[in-house]
Amino acid sequence: MRSKFDEQLALLHKELITMGSLCENAIALSAKALDEGNLTMSEEVFDFTGQINQKERDIEAMCMRLLLQQQPVAKDLRVISSALKMVTDMERIGDNSGDIAEIFTMGHITPAHNKLNIHDMALATIKMVKDSIDAFVKNDYKLAKEVIEYDDVVDRHFDQIKLQLIRCLSEPEADGEFALDLLMIAKYFERIGDHAVNIAEWVIFSITGSKEA
Amino acid sequence: MTKRIFRSICLVALVVFLASVVLFMGVLYDYFSGVQKGQLSTQTELAARGVADEGIHYLEGLEINAYRITWIGTDGTVLFDSSSDVNEMENHLEREEIQQALETGYGESSRYSITLMERALYCAKRLPDGTVLRLSMSQNTLLTLTLGMMQPICIIILIAIVLSLVLASRLSKRIVEPLNRLNLDEPLNNEEYDELSPLLSRIDIQQKEIKRQHDALLHKQKEFEAVTENMAEGILLLNASGNVIGMNHAALQLFGVDSSYIGQHILSMNRSIEISKLLSEAEHGSHAETILELSGGKYQININPVTVNGERFGSVLLILNVTEKENAEQMRREFTANVSHELKTPLHTIAGSAELLENDMVKEEYLKSFYSRIHKEAQRMIRLVDDIIRLSHLDEGAADMKWETVDLYEMAEEVIKELDTEARKTNLKMELNGEHVSIVGIPRLLQSIIYNLCDNAIKYNRPDGTVTVTVDNWKEMAVLTVSDTGIGIPPEHQERIFERFYRVDKSRSKELGGTGLGLSIVKHGVKLHNGEIQVRSAENGGTSIQIMLPKDASKMNGH
Repeated sequence: MRSKFDEQLALLHKELITMGSLCENAIALSAKALDEGNLTMSEEVFDFTGQINQKERDIEAMCMRLLLQQQPVAKDLRVISSALKMVTDMERIGDNSGDIAEIFTMGHITPAHNKLNIHDMALATIKMVKDSIDAFVKNDYKLAKEVIEYDDVVDRHFDQIKLQLIRCLSEPEADGEFALDLLMIAKYFERIGDHAVNIAEWVIFSITGSKEA
Repeated sequence: MTKRIFRSICLVALVVFLASVVLFMGVLYDYFSGVQKGQLSTQTELAARGVADEGIHYLEGLEINAYRITWIGTDGTVLFDSSSDVNEMENHLEREEIQQALETGYGESSRYSITLMERALYCAKRLPDGTVLRLSMSQNTLLTLTLGMMQPICIIILIAIVLSLVLASRLSKRIVEPLNRLNLDEPLNNEEYDELSPLLSRIDIQQKEIKRQHDALLHKQKEFEAVTENMAEGILLLNASGNVIGMNHAALQLFGVDSSYIGQHILSMNRSIEISKLLSEAEHGSHAETILELSGGKYQININPVTVNGERFGSVLLILNVTEKENAEQMRREFTANVSHELKTPLHTIAGSAELLENDMVKEEYLKSFYSRIHKEAQRMIRLVDDIIRLSHLDEGAADMKWETVDLYEMAEEVIKELDTEARKTNLKMELNGEHVSIVGIPRLLQSIIYNLCDNAIKYNRPDGTVTVTVDNWKEMAVLTVSDTGIGIPPEHQERIFERFYRVDKSRSKELGGTGLGLSIVKHGVKLHNGEIQVRSAENGGTSIQIMLPKDASKMNGH
């Protein structure tokens, strides 16, 4: 009985890793599309978003089944409930990556325009997502903590981009559409960072049993 | 063990006890019954005399409790009874002992009471007057006796049980203790029980067999490990659900993990989409491969599903380093592109000039410059093709070139003489230092190494500079150093100058007329001689290229 349960838990773990990997790829690809101005890449991002949504439903169903059939307690319950919460955040990361790609396909943003350090912000966000998934995979409390702290870096990037855009808009020949689109993209990156923090918090919860504020 | 021994001891004790009880009871009861009967008949005789003499008065005067005396008339009516009222008693004529007494003068019988608890013994004697006097005494039956002895019997049985318990436990302990002390590691060294020796020798044989098989297995495993651990390729074994069963050292390093990951799912080590795809391919039972970037290099990963009789057991991942292959491929592509470009440029000049000449478009006074340009470009092409041929020759290992003993110093001297005119053009001073060093090498190749180095030293020098060539001995090596006082090579370019067609300053090199292959030839030539090249240079600080060649490289190459 228990061995069957262990098998199911291992499968859940594997599925979560796969979903995390899909999220990493989605955000990395949307950042790359943005960087290189490659429209076909954003199509691939939508593909990833679809896969991520499907995975979310699969994992949710799996968690529900485990909760009903195995009635887990203590650590198992924590692992499953945090998995349930984590997939929501992962799905949001996928969606936000898709949103970034979508804004990009509207064509107001070209690499020539893109002198602002949105690239650095994208890198910082990708690192956060990667580290949060890593923390989950390795059950690494320290790494999860680092992810939570690293959110400040992404926030600082966002503030900088905002300031630069304000300066940009105050010029007479300012391109308003570009500025607003870029602001949205920056905001999405910032949101993705927050979701990564959430994932890290759930990792900590599944390890320690308490969700730190 | 204890239980069984206890049971047997207890059973034996009880059987012996009961048997002796039955024996004693039977024998003694018979004996005592006989004695009692004798007494009774004696008493009857005495009483009969008394009654015959004194009649009923004798009976009434008697005070006897141990016997019951009955006097029965000839018709069977009871005339006297010592324990009951005469009137209430039935006729006794039919009684067995009376009948006997009436017939023979003496009779006896015994009857059980209704409860079977007592037995009455009767003795009857016919008196001379025809009446019968009967004496009876009650006797305890065997059952009564047994019941009366029940308590002591029970106590004895209890004692027997307790004793047999104690004995059984002590005995079993005594039997088992040597068994527990048996040294099963060396079964043949035990001498406690002879009965066990077949078992022990069997155990010994089996132990030896197990040890032999274990050793064989261990040996096989060690062999396998030695092979896989020393492989440059990574090997990863997965079970059916994708968990890592084992991996070799190379795989550990490639994935940048430690052995604690064994037993975990492969996606915990690397969760890239490529690996997920490989896994799902393998799950469908097909072979797959992909190229993945791992720890800075490019790796080809092959996955092979392992199926036995249609059942999937897992899969094997083989990780090959293809970084060099991919890089070599890229270099070859670049080389081809460069060669065609380098060949096309002079051809264009030649074709253009020739066309102008053909159509008489060139004024008389410029004719000479056109001819010389065609000549110069053609020369350049010849040099280029020469260099390419030489390089491709070197690529193939220069197997047909002859190895001879050469004096490097003399060779350098010749080269300097050859390049003297070139050096004079920019007023350069050429120096040769050092001593004579003989080495075994390929003369043509060594010559072109020195030539190319000196040529570069002259080309990239400043006017009025110097080129110094030094030939020295250093242990088993010949050391050739070519130093100039020229423009130098910036550090970021130093690694790449040996690449084919690589130029530090592209515009400048063209006007100097180099082919871009010189240093490449030097590099290959030195490699063929098992030598080493060192570059020391600083921007605008001159360049010094040092070559170390083993004095007898032919031996190492097996020529």
